Amino acid sequence: MMKMNWNQRQKWIGLLFIAPNMIGISLFFIIPALFSLYLVFTNYQFTNPIVDFIGLDNFTRLFHDKLFYISLKNTLLFLASVPLSMGLAFIVAVILNKSVYLKGILRSLYFMPYITSGIAIAFVWMLLFQPKNGPINGVLRAIGVENPPGWLSTLETSMYAIDIIWIWFMLGYNMIIYLAALQEISPELLEAGKIDGARRWQTVRHIIWPIVSPTTFLLLITGLIMTIKTFGIIQAITQGGPGNSTTILSLFVYKTAFSYYEMGYASAISWVLFSIILLITIVQWYGQKKWVHY
Amino acid sequence: MNVFNITKWVVTAMMLFFAIVMILPFVWMISTSFKSPAEVFVFPIQWIPSEIIWQHHIQVWTGDQSFVPYYLNSLKISFACMVGATFLSALAGYGFSRIEFKGRETLFLLYLSMMMIPPQVLFVPKFIMFDWMGIYNTHWALILPGIFTIFGVFMMRQFFMGIPKDISESAFIDGAGHFLIFWRIILPLSKPALATLAIIDFSWHWNDYENALVFLIDQDLYTVPLGLQNFIFESNIDYNGMMAATSAGIIPMLVVFLIGQKFIIQGIASTAVKG
Repeated sequence: MMKMNWNQRQKWIGLLFIAPNMIGISLFFIIPALFSLYLVFTNYQFTNPIVDFIGLDNFTRLFHDKLFYISLKNTLLFLASVPLSMGLAFIVAVILNKSVYLKGILRSLYFMPYITSGIAIAFVWMLLFQPKNGPINGVLRAIGVENPPGWLSTLETSMYAIDIIWIWFMLGYNMIIYLAALQEISPELLEAGKIDGARRWQTVRHIIWPIVSPTTFLLLITGLIMTIKTFGIIQAITQGGPGNSTTILSLFVYKTAFSYYEMGYASAISWVLFSIILLITIVQWYGQKKWVHY
Repeated sequence: MNVFNITKWVVTAMMLFFAIVMILPFVWMISTSFKSPAEVFVFPIQWIPSEIIWQHHIQVWTGDQSFVPYYLNSLKISFACMVGATFLSALAGYGFSRIEFKGRETLFLLYLSMMMIPPQVLFVPKFIMFDWMGIYNTHWALILPGIFTIFGVFMMRQFFMGIPKDISESAFIDGAGHFLIFWRIILPLSKPALATLAIIDFSWHWNDYENALVFLIDQDLYTVPLGLQNFIFESNIDYNGMMAATSAGIIPMLVVFLIGQKFIIQGIASTAVKG
């Protein structure tokens, strides 16, 4: 046997540490992903044992599928919740960072929805949004809104109701990250602003906001990617309805695969979803230098 | 100085008000679970029920759709995933941060790029593969993939890179190998990071609805989110029962949060800022 030199030895030991994890990643990520790339070109249906190779037909079908465009539009509406949640989180973080007592308690309260809520809380929101008797519309009527919205029950408003839930859910996470970024700002910098006579909001606008722009960028990208992958909360409360008004792309994939058992077609849609994530990631890769100002 | 403090208290009160609005859904849930059906939608909202009714909670735990089996299933799956994922992530994180070898960075980049693949791409092939493997509609379909996490590897790597090189250097001179250093020196130094990953991982699996939805069919295998969904679909207008069931699903996470929030907050903040 040939004696290994030090470098080779290091390599084998390194790989040995990584191997147990890598086997699982290959088995449950890489191989299924490759398998899916094959399914894209087939008409595989769970209920039908005969599988034909149909080339790009799934994509032709997809680009003529009305539901695809509806789900794209709904996905965009869903993604709009990301910057809104970030904006609110930024305001909360700036205030909590310097201008309050009880900072720890407040931070925990704002963060609570993020950590405690799986789909369970979605069912609570379902009742809160009840159009006829629900407490939210109760409050709206009490303050003089005569025709409060139907929230989850109408085609026009259902996606916005989902957005509200999602903004509420993500707010705490975004706030924690912003708070961490704010703590890294050196106090001297803020002092300089004060001496210049800059008003508080001007300090925020011209000093704090530019300094945390890398964080903003990071939150935007990770938030978009995380949101576009989600469908559980929507499946749990509306199943994509009423009509298809809350069917977003990721839910469209799930329903095509596991309600209609069109596995080949679902695979094709899932790779469109991947392409969007890839696009966002590329924007991140190249945009980082361009849009982030110190 | 005095004036400034008053302003600060006013701002505190304002932020406290909004914070309480944030957690009202939880308060409403708990309050409703103790109310009589007639009081559910009374307006103005009755936060404290006129009579505390335990019946809905008793029903959730002892009725014909008892939550006990769902709890045991969720605990088993979440615990197994947490232990496996934390250990394997620490191992791989060590390999990616404290052993230098050729091709390491490329391999790590491959790992990170796998994070881009959405679960929706993997559901169908995993469904078919699990069927072949005979683990579809068993808990293994959730546990086996659950112990491998790319995020965990990333997080542990970030943490290990922050530990000074000299600490393991002297052990090397004494002739210790990598595994001994990992086990005796690095792991004990990383307890906070390990705790953070364990808590985050546990809460993921406890809240995981999507995978359970795809890979489980039999009701006796259901985890808490699926059991909850089932309960809600079948209880139609029993709003008190629904809220009692929802409380049952959320309260364990509230407890985990209250105990481990320091770890959770620091962990989330550190991965994002350094990442």
